[in-house]
Amino acid sequence: MAYRQRLAAFFDNFEAMSKSTLASGAEDKKAALFEREFLPHLEALYNFALKLTLNADDAKDLLQETCLKAYRFIDSYKDGTNAKAWLFRIMKNGFINDYRKKSKQPGMVDYADVEYMQEGTQEAVYNLRPDMIRGKLGDEITNALDSLGVDFRTVIILCDLEGFKYEEMAEILEIPIGTVRSRLHRARTMLKEKLADYAAKMGYK
Amino acid sequence: MGKFIRWLGRTFGSKKKRCPEEQRCLELVRLMLDEESTPEDNAYVLNHIDKCYQCYDNYDIEKAIREAVKKKNRKAKIPHEVVNEIRNKINLA
Repeated sequence: MAYRQRLAAFFDNFEAMSKSTLASGAEDKKAALFEREFLPHLEALYNFALKLTLNADDAKDLLQETCLKAYRFIDSYKDGTNAKAWLFRIMKNGFINDYRKKSKQPGMVDYADVEYMQEGTQEAVYNLRPDMIRGKLGDEITNALDSLGVDFRTVIILCDLEGFKYEEMAEILEIPIGTVRSRLHRARTMLKEKLADYAAKMGYK
Repeated sequence: MGKFIRWLGRTFGSKKKRCPEEQRCLELVRLMLDEESTPEDNAYVLNHIDKCYQCYDNYDIEKAIREAVKKKNRKAKIPHEVVNEIRNKINLA
């Protein structure tokens, strides 16, 4: 009897040990995949987080949350596909969910989403010259970009700063490619209007 | 020739009279600068901006804005502690 009990205990122990060895092997594989495919994009992700949140602490939180989520769902990532676009999509979704929650709080209306067109803007746009942008506008360019509504800011960041193609942007933003095109066109027009207003205020005619 | 026409337009042209193809041309210019246009689009744009000073200005302004956005939004270095924190959390996860 004692022999049978000892044998059963041995098999139980063996099963538990092999399960934990298999599990730690799977964890090692996931960690290796994370290191190889995702870590090279950490800096780009951090910069995207900074431009989305406009705050260094929030950016760190968003980056960490994105990485943990990517690790948790690493099985749904197809090895060898576009890791950067996959990570950017996770970050965008995380930010939008959080942003929506905050937006529902009183006093958190995003005025930047309201159509932007001051009186005299069209005239200012016609007066805008390339040398004003190249020479005189400095921080105004960053301010103008940061003041765009998040949807418009995002398409410019993805296209101009990260160099994504429209197809990749459609994948990240989960919208049709035609919407990427029209949103980007609108965002660029809004940015130009803001720059023209800055230039007009600075006295360029 | 194109340069001369643009100079004439800029110097003597009216700001109120806009090119009738301005909006279409601007859309195609943006696609071209994003490298998302077709060869036909490019041929149309290059041919048009050679003759039209307003659309050439739009092209030049679009190029200047892109350059400025890139220049003024230089990439920030990620702090080492942020990377380490993420590594630690992943290893523990």
